[in-house]
Amino acid sequence: MTSIRDIERELSSLRTEPGAETPYQRTSVMTHTAWVPPEWVEAAEDVLSLLAERHPSRTVVLFPQPDEEEGIEGDVEVDVYPVGEGRAICTETIRVRLKGKRASAPASVVQSLLLPDLPAFLRWRGLPPFGAPEFEGLIDVVDRLVVDSTEWPDLPESYRGLTEIFDRVAVSDIAWARTSRWRPMLASLWPNIAGVQRIRVQGTAAQAHLLAGWLRSRLKHAVELEHDPSDRLVGVEIDGEPAPFPPGDPPSGADVLSEELDTFGRDRIYEDAVRAALP
Amino acid sequence: MATTQENPLLEGLQIRRTPDPCILVIFGASGDLTKRKIFPALYSLAYRHLLPERFAVVGIARTEETDDDFRERMKEAVQQFGRDEFRDDVWDGLADGIRYLAADFSDAKGLDHLVDVVNELDDERETGGNRVYYLAIPPSAFETVVDSMGKRRKSEGWRRLIVEKPFGHDLESARHLNGVIEKYFDEHEVFRIDHYLGKETVQNMLALRFANGIFEPIWNRQFVDHVQITVAESMGIEGRAAYYEQAGAIRDIFQNHLLQLLAITAMEPPIDFTADSVRNEKVKVLRAMHTPGPKSVVRGQYGLGYVEGEEVLGYREEEGVDPQSMTETYVAAKLYVDNWRWADTPFYVRMGKRLPRRETTIAIEFKRAPHPPFEELAAEGLRPNVLLVNVQPDEGVSLAIGAKVPGQGMTIRTVHMDFLYGGAFRTGLPEAYERLILDAMLGDATLFTRIDEVLEQWSLVDAIVAAWVRDRPGFPNYPAGTWGPPSADELLKRDGRSWRRH
Repeated sequence: MTSIRDIERELSSLRTEPGAETPYQRTSVMTHTAWVPPEWVEAAEDVLSLLAERHPSRTVVLFPQPDEEEGIEGDVEVDVYPVGEGRAICTETIRVRLKGKRASAPASVVQSLLLPDLPAFLRWRGLPPFGAPEFEGLIDVVDRLVVDSTEWPDLPESYRGLTEIFDRVAVSDIAWARTSRWRPMLASLWPNIAGVQRIRVQGTAAQAHLLAGWLRSRLKHAVELEHDPSDRLVGVEIDGEPAPFPPGDPPSGADVLSEELDTFGRDRIYEDAVRAALP
Repeated sequence: MATTQENPLLEGLQIRRTPDPCILVIFGASGDLTKRKIFPALYSLAYRHLLPERFAVVGIARTEETDDDFRERMKEAVQQFGRDEFRDDVWDGLADGIRYLAADFSDAKGLDHLVDVVNELDDERETGGNRVYYLAIPPSAFETVVDSMGKRRKSEGWRRLIVEKPFGHDLESARHLNGVIEKYFDEHEVFRIDHYLGKETVQNMLALRFANGIFEPIWNRQFVDHVQITVAESMGIEGRAAYYEQAGAIRDIFQNHLLQLLAITAMEPPIDFTADSVRNEKVKVLRAMHTPGPKSVVRGQYGLGYVEGEEVLGYREEEGVDPQSMTETYVAAKLYVDNWRWADTPFYVRMGKRLPRRETTIAIEFKRAPHPPFEELAAEGLRPNVLLVNVQPDEGVSLAIGAKVPGQGMTIRTVHMDFLYGGAFRTGLPEAYERLILDAMLGDATLFTRIDEVLEQWSLVDAIVAAWVRDRPGFPNYPAGTWGPPSADELLKRDGRSWRRH
């Protein structure tokens, strides 16, 4: 399919079960858009397939291919899930390859595919090109941007661009969500933690900078950070003392994204933490 | 925990409510409820890390059994009836704090021993003297248990009492039972379970009504023609003849579940969602209910018939049932709520066993459009809009609206706009018992019935039953697998209405 019209026509025909009088019911909770540059394709597909089952909605996956000859190419998939007796609902996944110059104006493609009146989320894989037209255009048509700053190079400097868009779009960061078991645990160390001078975080760079930023912004004083790289957050030391390990299991990737998609509105605590993470 | 003002790190954190450390003592632990509902619910709570970290369960029943046997049996029950995948680590964490005690409830010595076991466990698990007593036993055994537990009450920690239905068998017995409980427990410590209130769809009725601006203005006598509430079961009495012969449909379903569904449908908006605000509004509805005359109540009892293709026995042929039994297995009634909002609006309710299928629904039928301008409709008549709340199965809400059939002319057909829980939120609905046990541990009584509600419910039932002693209907009067006796259809036909089609 090479136009939005084709995509829409294909969707409505797929929604009708072959031979049945009543079409599958479509459940509309949100539009979930994902921007997936080539290097992220595999990782994105894994998370998306787990997600569709939990957030049955329309998912628009955009694959930018700026080096190809101009045009758009799309395919549509309707997944059907049984619910209750003899009923089924469907969720839609629209994959659009944006080729050539089309890759710089994705907002115009997404806008025509958004479900009306429902929240729209944009998952951006990798570091967003702050200021670039494709990114700027998209954040203006969605309600919430979901990033994972774990995927970003040059932290904490890369957070600078993010702080500039806080007033335009609500932001969720999966790296931040992955500190959610640790923050209540650290909060429970109050009042002893009030005067903390130095923390050592064994985890990803994003988690380390965000936790330090969080402590600085909430406690309103300087907190020195020492980072011990690890692919998961496994330990925090407060002025040389190891903090207790929080209870529960770390959530899966789809769990974390799924929870972010249930959240609306700005997260001021996160925004403060990001600002305070900057040197 | 410190407040945000004192502790800036708490700001913005979503702190999940976790109950205080406590011990759950289940009386009647060898029964079906413990196996089918309580333990699967506890496992699901443990699976989601919703139980307090320091927690223990003591099961108590007459059957002799060791701790290990009991644990093994409960493990199997969780594997069979639980809704979550079975994980050894989750189960082991829970099983660690499980004890079993064989004792006769009428024997004070056995109960003394229980107190010792619980106190020991209290020290071992550091549960601070907090106790939840779960009475999964017949009301006849309540008295000794409540008395013993009340007398041996320690000053340290809190006490909560979860009471299963039935709460008495009439107004007088309910008052008596309450008198027994009142001696040792305050009303805020008593949690009377009506598991329908723990269902997501029932709570969604509150969301539907009070979180949407479009329904409340038309939720009254001016726009609603009538309301139909159906609680249908396809099962028979499942070997519970001794209980059912005494209870019948009116005490088993009408007195509690059905009247609670009605109260939630008809209540005024509460000022907030606290236990007392919600229950104050519900009790007003129950108090405003008009006692129906004998002509407005229909009784039925099933005879031989077919359910899901299988031939099933009539009620009188069920094991343990008196062959001349006059116990009703079906009740239909026309009820009125005498208040400003609902005066003259009938609430038709029906409930029964061995009906064609399991279904609990609340249907709000709105008044017809006053003058349809479409000629083609004149013959058939325009169907009214119906807002249907499916409590179970197919949990969700559906609105019937008239729509034009594509093509020439103006043919109108009724179509459904559906919201299916399973479709919009695919997280799996928690079982009612999970929510209710957790709420009781947290001390939140919003979804439990307060004593004044129970008493109002019983006084309505007593008034209905009083009229029944005078006549003997020709039972059985409906074959199993049908929608009740013909007289139930007559009840609506007299008003120019009919039960919803299925």
